[in-house]
Amino acid sequence: MKSAPFEYHRPVSIEETVDLLAEHGDDGKLLAGGQSLIPLMAMRLAQPAVIVDLAGVAALRRREGPVVGAMVTNAQLERDSAGLPPIVAAALPHVGHFQIRNRGTIGGSLAHLDPAAEWPALALLLGLRFRIRSRDRGEREMGAGEFMIGPLTTDLRADEVLTEVTFPVWPVGAGWGFAEVARRPGDFALAGAACTVVGGRTRVVTFATGGMPQVVEDWDGIEAGGDLHASAAYRRSVTRRLVKQVLADAGGSW
Amino acid sequence: MVITVNGSVHPIDVEPRVTLADFLRDRLRLTGTHLGCEHGVCGACTVLLDGEAVRSCLIFAIQAAGCAVTTVEGMAPKGRPSRLQVAFETHRAFQCGFCTPGFLATAEALLRSGEPLSRETLPRLLAGNICRCTGYQPIIEAILEVAGGEC
Repeated sequence: MKSAPFEYHRPVSIEETVDLLAEHGDDGKLLAGGQSLIPLMAMRLAQPAVIVDLAGVAALRRREGPVVGAMVTNAQLERDSAGLPPIVAAALPHVGHFQIRNRGTIGGSLAHLDPAAEWPALALLLGLRFRIRSRDRGEREMGAGEFMIGPLTTDLRADEVLTEVTFPVWPVGAGWGFAEVARRPGDFALAGAACTVVGGRTRVVTFATGGMPQVVEDWDGIEAGGDLHASAAYRRSVTRRLVKQVLADAGGSW
Repeated sequence: MVITVNGSVHPIDVEPRVTLADFLRDRLRLTGTHLGCEHGVCGACTVLLDGEAVRSCLIFAIQAAGCAVTTVEGMAPKGRPSRLQVAFETHRAFQCGFCTPGFLATAEALLRSGEPLSRETLPRLLAGNICRCTGYQPIIEAILEVAGGEC
C-alpha cells in the first residue's frame, strides 16, 4: 500500500499548470484533493510518473456566485453554498466523511468521475457547465453530457485542466429532492436518486446503481446492476423507493 | 520545505511518494498515529492539519509543506493528557486503543467546530472512524462530557 515513485510539481498559476501538462503528456497527472487518486496510487492501480499538485494555484479556488473553481473543497461548499441550487447543500453531507470533505474538491471528484459519487449525478441533474484549459488549444467549455463519458472517463485530455464549473440559476419556487442509501453515512452509495422540478418539468437522475448516473423518465427506465455489495434485485428495489421519495420531496410527477 | 508538527518545525526530507502518515511514523517516530486501511476508510490515521481533521494516509507529506499538524502526541504536552483524553479514560472509551488517536483527532475537530454535538448527531459525525472492539457508546459519552452537553 505504498505509491510508486513520482516526480512532484507544485505550480502556482494555471499557466504554469498547463505548461507542465503539455511538457509531460501522458506521464502527467493532476492532483487535487487526493482523496480518490492517492488510494488508487497506494494500491498501484495508478502509477503516474509525474504529479502536478494544484494546491498552490490560487486561481482555481475562485468562488463567484454560481461559478466555482475546481479546487474549492467540499467542506467549503458545505459551509457556504450561497448562489448554488439548494440540492447541493442537501447532497454534500453524503460526499464522503467530513474528514474527506476537508480535502476533497468539486473539480477533483468530477475529473475522477466515480459513477457512484454524488457530484457526477448532480452535474447531470443540474446541467453543470465545465471550463477547461490547455496550453496549446486555450479554453473550451462544455456541458455535463459531453464532459462525462463513462465510469472514470471524462473528455479531459492529458494536457488539460478543469478550471471551473458553473451552476445554473435556480428559479424561486423550484422543487428538489435528494436521497441515497449507504452502509455507513459518508460511504459510497449503494443506490441514490435526485430530482428537480423546474418550471413544472420533472427531472430524475439515479446514481450508484451500477453504471453511470442516468436520467430516468419512468418506472420502467430504472435500471440497476448487482455486485459484491448488493444484488441487482435489491438495488432496483431500493432505487425505486428512493425515486419515489425524491419525486415526493420535489413535488414532481411522471 | 518544512512542516510544523506539534509545535516543532521539521524539514520534509523524504520522497514525494511518502504519505503524511508514514512521514509522521517512520521519519519523526511519532507512532501514536496509527495506520489501518491505508485508503481512507477506517479513520485510524486521522490527524489535525491546520486545525482540520484529515486522513494522514491520503496526503503526501510534501503536500503539507508549510502546514501545522497536530497528532495525538501533541494533545498531551509534557505528558499531561487533555480533557478529552481524560474523558476517554473515565468513560472507558477505548479497549485495544488502535482507533483511539483517530477518534481523538476527529473529536477535537468536532469540539472546535461549533457543530451541535448530541447523542443524535454524533453517530453520523463519527461515521468516518471505525472502532472494532469498544463500541461507540462510551466514545460518544466521553465527547459529550467535554462538549458540556447531555451526560
